[in-house]
Amino acid sequence: MERKENRYDPLLKEVWARVRKKHFFPELPHPTISESMDRVALEIKSKHITLSQSFMEEAARHLPMDKVIEALLDHGVTHYTFCPWDFHTHLTLYQEAKKVLGDKQMAQKSTDYFMDVVADTHCFKEKDTPISDLYRHMDRGVLDEAIHALYQRIWGEDLNVSGHEDISRRLSRIPYLDRKPWPESIHRFSKIIQGLLETEEKSGTLNQPNTMGQNDFGRYSSDEMDQGLKEFAMSTGDPGEFKEVVKDLEDELKEAGYPSHGGMGLGPGSPLDADILFYMKLAESYSLPIKKTPIEKSGSLYPDSHSPWELGKPFRDIDPWTSFGKIMPGITQIWERREGETFGEEEGTPNCIVVIDSSGSMINPRQHLSHAVLGAACASDAYLRNDATVAVYNFSHARSGDRQVLDYTRSRMKIYQTICHYFGGGTKLDIKDIESLQQPSRPDIFIITDMQITNLEDLVGYINGLENRVTAVHIGDNTHVRQFRRSMELRKNISIYSVQKKEDIPKIVLGKIREYFRSVS
Amino acid sequence: MINPFEDFKKYPYKKREIPLDRIVQAKQRVMDQIVEGYMKLVEQEVKDLVWLVENSRVFKAYSFALRTIQELDYDVDDIEELCFEIDKGRRIPYLISGPAGIYVSALCNNAKEERIRLRLHELKRTFHFLGYRLPEGKTLVLEGDVGDFIGAGLSGGKLIVKGSTRNWAGAGMMNGELFISEHTGQNTGGWMSGGEIHVDGRIRGVAKTILGGRIYHRGKLIVPHSTTARE
Amino acid sequence: MKEEARGRDMEDGGTRQKVRDIYGFIENNLYLNRPDMEVGDESFNSALLFSLLTALNRGKELIIGEPGLGKTTSAEYVAAMAYRLPLGLIWASEVSGHPEQTEEKIIGRPDLGRLNQGEEVVVWSYLAQLPVKIVDEINRLPETKQSMILDGVDRGNWEYLNDVIINEEFCLFATANYQDRGTNTLIAPLIDRFDVIVESRHPGTNMALVIGMKDRYENILRSPEYEKGFQEILLERGDYLEKMKRMEDLCDRFGDHMEREFDVKMLSQGEREEVRDCMQEIPLDLDANAFLRTVIAELSFCIKYGQKRSDEHCEEGCHYTGFVCHHIKNCISNRFPMSVRTYSQSLAWLNGDEAVGIEQIKAVLPYILAHRLQWKDDYLAQRQGDSRRDPFQIYLAKEMVNEIYRRYNEQSRHIKNALAVAYQALSGKDLEPIEGDHPIYAEIKRDLEEVR
Repeated sequence: MERKENRYDPLLKEVWARVRKKHFFPELPHPTISESMDRVALEIKSKHITLSQSFMEEAARHLPMDKVIEALLDHGVTHYTFCPWDFHTHLTLYQEAKKVLGDKQMAQKSTDYFMDVVADTHCFKEKDTPISDLYRHMDRGVLDEAIHALYQRIWGEDLNVSGHEDISRRLSRIPYLDRKPWPESIHRFSKIIQGLLETEEKSGTLNQPNTMGQNDFGRYSSDEMDQGLKEFAMSTGDPGEFKEVVKDLEDELKEAGYPSHGGMGLGPGSPLDADILFYMKLAESYSLPIKKTPIEKSGSLYPDSHSPWELGKPFRDIDPWTSFGKIMPGITQIWERREGETFGEEEGTPNCIVVIDSSGSMINPRQHLSHAVLGAACASDAYLRNDATVAVYNFSHARSGDRQVLDYTRSRMKIYQTICHYFGGGTKLDIKDIESLQQPSRPDIFIITDMQITNLEDLVGYINGLENRVTAVHIGDNTHVRQFRRSMELRKNISIYSVQKKEDIPKIVLGKIREYFRSVS
Repeated sequence: MINPFEDFKKYPYKKREIPLDRIVQAKQRVMDQIVEGYMKLVEQEVKDLVWLVENSRVFKAYSFALRTIQELDYDVDDIEELCFEIDKGRRIPYLISGPAGIYVSALCNNAKEERIRLRLHELKRTFHFLGYRLPEGKTLVLEGDVGDFIGAGLSGGKLIVKGSTRNWAGAGMMNGELFISEHTGQNTGGWMSGGEIHVDGRIRGVAKTILGGRIYHRGKLIVPHSTTARE
Repeated sequence: MKEEARGRDMEDGGTRQKVRDIYGFIENNLYLNRPDMEVGDESFNSALLFSLLTALNRGKELIIGEPGLGKTTSAEYVAAMAYRLPLGLIWASEVSGHPEQTEEKIIGRPDLGRLNQGEEVVVWSYLAQLPVKIVDEINRLPETKQSMILDGVDRGNWEYLNDVIINEEFCLFATANYQDRGTNTLIAPLIDRFDVIVESRHPGTNMALVIGMKDRYENILRSPEYEKGFQEILLERGDYLEKMKRMEDLCDRFGDHMEREFDVKMLSQGEREEVRDCMQEIPLDLDANAFLRTVIAELSFCIKYGQKRSDEHCEEGCHYTGFVCHHIKNCISNRFPMSVRTYSQSLAWLNGDEAVGIEQIKAVLPYILAHRLQWKDDYLAQRQGDSRRDPFQIYLAKEMVNEIYRRYNEQSRHIKNALAVAYQALSGKDLEPIEGDHPIYAEIKRDLEEVR
């Protein structure tokens, strides 16, 4: 459907060219003006900036229209180029604000205002911008006034605001332009404006959007949110904290179209399992490279270089061109041939059985970071990415029904659901369950446990009879471990790793897989 | 020799500063000095393995703190920020609760402002000795729960605690007013010789030795015991 | 086209418009594909754009892509239009990559008849003589042959049997399929000699059908009559420079013929020289200059070892972990800034800009960097799953450029100040270098220390 041309479009085009140059040509599409938008001055969705015509016209009563447009665009562009820049930063800021304020809406509002202050201050300092002129004549609520009082202090510009001395003084001490302490800065920022937010909440104006637009998630693409969640999982390192933020923002994430590709196995009405998402994202940071196609000798000989012909050497390799048509020692040249190298065929990757212990002695992955679960997740991902399938056996007290067996699949969601399940009961596995997953092609087996298995001897006996490559990763040292090691000493296909620091589990798992893949290629 | 920066020969090097830069820099400078002062106090106090609460010891630490901060130009926000820094434990790796509180008290007493408010709600660590020797003309408002010896040696100032204190609140106070909106612990008012303590919540225990002054519980005078009631 | 550009175009004698017309003609009639890059408010197809720029500025381009997606044909069309050569001649000059290629087939051979009479006379190949060199599937050539071609194109010198010809102008288009059985690798020292890498992509379902409906034998750039004329000249044994003069005369006639018959305008040698002169005059503005230095700093710096080296590994917990230097193995070469300058100037000229700005630098950087960077395995593994439209190496290069751009955007003033202060300090003023948290500041400081 063709967009109706707006009467300010030519001016917008001219100003946009100027703004783009000023901000070093950010990759943003050409902005547009909306006649129907009246609650906020501008909106950014999927990097596209839309300006409100009614706001522009109102502001133009005090300022030339081109300055109004320039100020609004400066504001929008700086959100893209400086703060928050990416989804991870946005989540981190929200998380800190929520720690202080305890309420989702207040935290969102505080985050919005903080990002506005950072972006506007950066723009004011680094670029030649009419933002301060715009704010001078803007209609303001109480919180806007306080923020503009802050701007007066930290910009040294009169914005026609009086009062808010105490709050602006305290806010002015925050180093907004220093990116590294932003989490701490928003923490203090939120603390200071908490009173004002509570007042807004009581008066029912808290859910009204900020005049300069809400910094919602619509500005990010699904891929950007994916990447941001991955980085956020890494930086929090705690499923509880991750979950708290993601759960809070579940509606907003869905509204913004995340996830788009259904990789989470979500559909309409499906809740987002934040715990599984946490381990999925974290495991992506521990990736193994895809096996490279091996270089091998092609078996064919190709002419590579010349050497002088000597009597007695065969004639068939003589190069008539370099020999100038003569057969004479010292003049005639023959070809030296060399075997070519070429790309070989990729060997297949064996499938994998992941055996994970979720008994009471293991960490509950939904409450704390479980390196055992992470290691299992890394192993699964590595095999999936190399086109293999993965089966999972999650056990606690198997005979009592505390077990889950997932047959071979390439569904990442199902694998993670099984790995992340926590029984928290006794520790007794059922060999038949593992045996039911065996294949003639002898899949690799990864066992991650604390070895405090009541029927350990059954496991030992079973593994001793296997030809599969088995990697057992366990935490700590105890008599069971020593017993296990003694029994496996002579088996070349079995590796046992004792881990002192749980943090080493993913590295060990990946290291072993790397060896396996190398031996195949 | 080639000057590889030739292209920037004519670039007008100028540092664009806005007031925020100066505010942040100045604050950073002051905080560095305050933190340095605290570290000196801690170094001084950790020479003995155990820090004991003795009057002379406390006074010695307080005097040292005062000497350290005499020349510093700071304000109320700096004091609050120091509390946060101590609580976070990043720049200041160790906290000895007694000296920390004494140092903060020294800062409060020496501050330019007459009224000081410290928001201590969300701090994880507990500060003791806050309000130590608060002089006349000064009002100190503490928001949040605090530790032992709050208002110890109060010297005429007004100390308002919007929260609870632990033991020995108002210990050794000589003059001034101590208001506690919630509860106190044991030995409230121990060795006080003057001034008033007002507690709106629960008093776990009043000290046995009180030399002077008054204690009010929910508006009712409880120390000394009411003469009219006795009569 | 912008008004200012139009004004400047008048000064350039309309050459800019001619080049744009060539682009438009190929885009609409010969190499049908989607635009996949934006510069300012214009969209271009990267393969076509960079091929045209390569032809104009004597560059070396590596074109990758799946078989049958127009890698070679795009280069052929651009070569024909930019150099006024009939397509058949270009086909005859192409070298195919296969392991049995020899120096005699690629560069030249002795005239055997004259050799039997005792005279050493070289019969030069079309590839060596023509200014445009196209090598198809270069990665199927053995390394020695790859090196031989790149050596020749680097300097424009072709030697055989103590004889040498020197090309006055030259450019190279080399195509390569993705890794499959039967292909070798292009080793790092060789691949670094290419200025740019582009992908010739699938044009999309709908455009593919349009292409499929075209008569594959119909091509207006062919002319058997003129092709014969060119071949006769090239086969002569005379002085190379004389031959080239006559070639140019024939090119003029061919160009006039194309314009008359088909309204197709091509570039003359004079026009190409004029374009190159104009391009070289275009300066980099200060931001482009500073940004490029910032990029080079991140690609060459190492706080621990002095510079990046392929056989040295980053320390755990290095302060510069967040910068690009941590994600790559190798150090960027000095060819890199030369390529950036040339191609950004070309792009600025095409846009009619008076100076090269960050916009042009950002546009060309990914294509100039993609083949030059050796990423660490961990980084590759982390990014392999990302959604993208570009081939992986170009995608990574684009992400990297965006990352460095963000950092530059945040501290552009500070960086420029640091460079200005450095100039003053090196000129004798007693100034301390400006500190900052980026490799560029460390590099500036080091430059100043090493002089003092």
